Amino acid sequence: MTEPMSVLELVRNASFLVQAVMVILVLASVASWVMIFQRWFELNRVQREIDDFEEEFWSGIDLANLKAELDERPEDQTGIESLFAAGFGEYRRLAGQGADPDAVLQFVQRAMRVALTHEEERLGRHLPFLATVGSTSPYVGLFGTVWGIMNAFRNVATMTQATLAAVAPGISEALVATAMGLFAAIPAVIGYNRFSSRVEALMKRYEAFADELTSILHRDAVTA
Amino acid sequence: MNVVRDYALPLILAVGLHAGVVGLLMQNWQGTTDSDESVMPILRVDIVEIAQPKSRPAPPKVELPPPKPQTAPAKPPPKPPPKPAAQPVPQPDREAERREREQRERERRLRELQEQSTNRVLDEELYDLQEGADQGETMSYVAGIYSAIVAEWSRPPSARNDMQARFRVDLLPSGDLKSLTLLESSGNAAFDRSAEAAVRKVRRFKVPSGKLFEDKFRRFTLLFKPEDLLR
Repeated sequence: MTEPMSVLELVRNASFLVQAVMVILVLASVASWVMIFQRWFELNRVQREIDDFEEEFWSGIDLANLKAELDERPEDQTGIESLFAAGFGEYRRLAGQGADPDAVLQFVQRAMRVALTHEEERLGRHLPFLATVGSTSPYVGLFGTVWGIMNAFRNVATMTQATLAAVAPGISEALVATAMGLFAAIPAVIGYNRFSSRVEALMKRYEAFADELTSILHRDAVTA
Repeated sequence: MNVVRDYALPLILAVGLHAGVVGLLMQNWQGTTDSDESVMPILRVDIVEIAQPKSRPAPPKVELPPPKPQTAPAKPPPKPPPKPAAQPVPQPDREAERREREQRERERRLRELQEQSTNRVLDEELYDLQEGADQGETMSYVAGIYSAIVAEWSRPPSARNDMQARFRVDLLPSGDLKSLTLLESSGNAAFDRSAEAAVRKVRRFKVPSGKLFEDKFRRFTLLFKPEDLLR
């Protein structure tokens, strides 16, 4: 074997099943990187949105004005804005009817809890995909490798003279599958851990905001 | 619409990243494998000596091999001269001399390792014996025997570069091995055995027929000497 071996050569010479495994892994890797970048941008955007909104919220603005401002663009109320809109909208609807403040607050809390659940689902989107890629692609790669090595040794069995040079290319090309599996899995696992902790942190901020809004509305209901 | 906006940039980034990794990998990979090519292991089996012109009166001449070893290990015919010449004259820095010689020796070995197939060196005597046309033919048969033995020879882990074992091989006209005699042991039983096993495994050698066989291949000496071990 005098020609230099390139990875491309190895992949081309691999058996069909190993090639299929490699294709799956490449697709999984590309997809998981798409998710990683998308989540990254998305979570950064949400973080900025929370910062901006909280700044506005605590600037002493009249909450009714804030709500009216949000209602002007109902189609892209997301994140903390939708949480506020749900809580404050519910409060306004019920408070005008002279109901018991405690009952009103319960409705408000419930409305906000629904909004929170929606937000959590939105933030955590794609994370299960990353977790799946991270935990299964090493196995998929390993499967390709085992299959490739099995074939390499089976071919050796038919030779009269078994040399290392006869097995080595087969093993090498089989190992490419494991390398690809790890290449796909490592970023996915890191991404999953990083993003799920960020989602948790953001959820904490949502919950804290919901509590603060509830207490403000409660005070308002009692004093009114 | 929203989906396109959300995922277009991540998709471009991800594909770009993978393309970059693949490109990088292919460049590096080729660089590392080329350098390994030159270190193909070569086992050294020299067919150092071909039996004397007549095959029958060989027995008395068996006594001759002993003198030959001195010239025969001589795949480097140039080597012996430097040694005696160099030593007496510059006595003061023998150390430097020795190091220089080692250096030369190492370079020579490297060169030999690289030209693999052309490196079986025949005894000078052989050249004298066969002028002209059938020299090429003999060489090609020698090469065949050499590669057949080398293919079967697996050295024990205890083999070292300076070991050498010498065997006398007697063949039948068919090329079958008639007898194999250890002339000079390497001092390592495992090494001797591995060399012997190699010859016995080949069992039948490809040899010419007729006069060329009688002249050169009925009886010859094999020198086993591993030279590619880097220890």
